[in-house]
Amino acid sequence: MHPFSYRQASDEQSALSGVSGQPGAAYLAGGTTLIDLMKLDVQKPSQLIDITPLPWTKITELPGGGVSIGAMVRNSDLAHSEIIMTRYPVLSEALLSGASPQLRNMATTGGNLLQRTRCYYFRDITTPCNKREPGSGCSAMDGYNRIHAILGTSKHCIATHPSDMCVALTALDATIVTRGAKGERRIPINEFYFTPGDHPERENVLEPGELITAVELPAMPFAARSHYRKVRDRASYAFALSSAAVALDIQAGVIKGARIAMGGVGTKPWRALDAEKALIGKTAGPDAYKAAAEAALRGAKTHKDNAFKVELAKRTVIRALTMAAQKTA
Amino acid sequence: MEHGAAATACPSDPALAPGSLAPDFRLSHPRNASLSLSDLRGQPVVLAFYPPGWDPSRGEQIAQYNKILTQLPNLHAELMDFSVDGDWYDLRFAREQMRLPFLANPSPQPEIARLYGAEGREALFVIDSEGVIQWSCCAPVGMPPKAEDLLEALRSIAPQPKEETAAPKASRMALTRRDFIAATLATAFALTLGAHAVQAEPEATKLGATPMAPAIGVSGGDTMPITLTVNGAAHDLQIDPRATVLDALRERIGMTGSKKGCDHGQCGACTVLVDGRRVLSCLSLAVAQQGKQITTIEGLAQGETLHPMQQAFLTHDGFQCGYCTPGQIMSAVGLLTEPVGPEDADVRENMSGNLCRCGAYPNIVAAIQDVRKANTNAPV
Repeated sequence: MHPFSYRQASDEQSALSGVSGQPGAAYLAGGTTLIDLMKLDVQKPSQLIDITPLPWTKITELPGGGVSIGAMVRNSDLAHSEIIMTRYPVLSEALLSGASPQLRNMATTGGNLLQRTRCYYFRDITTPCNKREPGSGCSAMDGYNRIHAILGTSKHCIATHPSDMCVALTALDATIVTRGAKGERRIPINEFYFTPGDHPERENVLEPGELITAVELPAMPFAARSHYRKVRDRASYAFALSSAAVALDIQAGVIKGARIAMGGVGTKPWRALDAEKALIGKTAGPDAYKAAAEAALRGAKTHKDNAFKVELAKRTVIRALTMAAQKTA
Repeated sequence: MEHGAAATACPSDPALAPGSLAPDFRLSHPRNASLSLSDLRGQPVVLAFYPPGWDPSRGEQIAQYNKILTQLPNLHAELMDFSVDGDWYDLRFAREQMRLPFLANPSPQPEIARLYGAEGREALFVIDSEGVIQWSCCAPVGMPPKAEDLLEALRSIAPQPKEETAAPKASRMALTRRDFIAATLATAFALTLGAHAVQAEPEATKLGATPMAPAIGVSGGDTMPITLTVNGAAHDLQIDPRATVLDALRERIGMTGSKKGCDHGQCGACTVLVDGRRVLSCLSLAVAQQGKQITTIEGLAQGETLHPMQQAFLTHDGFQCGYCTPGQIMSAVGLLTEPVGPEDADVRENMSGNLCRCGAYPNIVAAIQDVRKANTNAPV
């Protein structure tokens, strides 16, 4: 690990000023990604600003029925929050399907949004990687790419976004609230992440030093009928090969509204808008779900080892929709 | 090979004189992909360079080791042989049932020998736990350093005895068996570098040895004063910000109950409680835990009375080799305070962050269920 200096931020202002004008500075929250990647020399900050003392640890109801989640809320607290379990079960399920209890006790909401890919080549500094070292090439493209993405890829990067939480937040149309040199910003999660394109090293719209303060969920009464389905190589404690976060608004057997996002298959948490459209007005049932799954995977681009993900992702979407529909709204 | 160099410290490179910071480097190997010298910070390291073709199982090498060992009082270890097992060498000792594995076949990294000015020579660097070179010796091939010199250097970097255990032993040095193992392991790791380090291959610089900004000038290596509260007791430490809670516990405070398994948050062997919640000490920086209550496996028992979870693991034989056990037990104690369903499947799911290579899972689940059913809420 490279040497760094360490400082605790006592409040928001000291956090922001600690990082401004310091290109090598990074915020430290739960540390579950950052410390790991620092040990691998993938990330080499010269200065860590510990933001865990910041008081953004509350989950509060917003006027109008939405919910605000402080950036420092731990994944375990969020997953077990009564309001999340009843209003947005998909989020609670996604969180509990991710990592281990120890990691969920450490990881924060803001940090999870910035989780880095598990691409083995990104994590191995002895191999080329455009995300880690722009222009060095992509080792996954012609390497072993079973866990890699099939949606949103470019010729420079096929790394999968690893988070479960972010897939649920994407289905729920979350808004990310930030604070930076230019004041507060409110960024819809669908505009937060970049696909790799020509710049895999740029993963999101955050400016240097910009700090996530909260995540807001809009009122979405039908999200009470939502579900997260995750498929992986073992029963627990593994990253998704494929996952789906879905919510269904079914009235008298007809689908009035739908939210579908996919994990494990995209270079970012993947919202499947076409699949949602395909469901509207249809009778809830296998035919509609199958059509939605087909729409969700249209345009998928596979590589040597990950072609299986297309069919797997379709089945994951179908199963998630089936399970959500069985829930009582 | 140069054969004309003087058999003293390397005066040619001032960066490597005693007192300077040891340049960092990275050892790339399929089975140990992320090992950097700086990862060993917090414990003394003996870095040795040997010429190509060096074979640790040669009689004279073993004799060299034994010369050192015999001078360590209270150790009673006699190195019998090195045996090769795939990519690893095992060191076998006569009276101690120790097998110390070490890497036998890292990729060639002549760059590292060059960093230390040890190309084409046999060299030894004794580096203290802060990463500072305390002693070095650089000699032509075939002239290994004197055992007494190395011993003296080892003695100089041995951790000071702790105040609590001040019972002054007759021993004339503070090196414990464990300290020596750490040093030997580090030596072993380092020695293996040497086997290839001097094969001057001009083009072989692509390696993982990003020659880490010659760590010499890096000021970020400064230490910080902190107070860690472990099992109710305050420990004042002067510590490198890079040190994890796990390293602070094991290497500085001397609590080796928490185990280093993967060191990357994937195995759970390092699990401790922080403010009552189970977390991974290998991914937690020590400097970030001030004012928090850390509970380790050493803090569970009340005197001679085991914590119910410890007793249940014994009763149900919830382990085989025992390496993952402290992490399993700490994780299980943390689980008791979490919303976890009543079934065995719920326990399995909520213990999934703790791996057991022996496969003691059924007994671990039984032990945890026993405690839960007894609804024992022993103070943690």
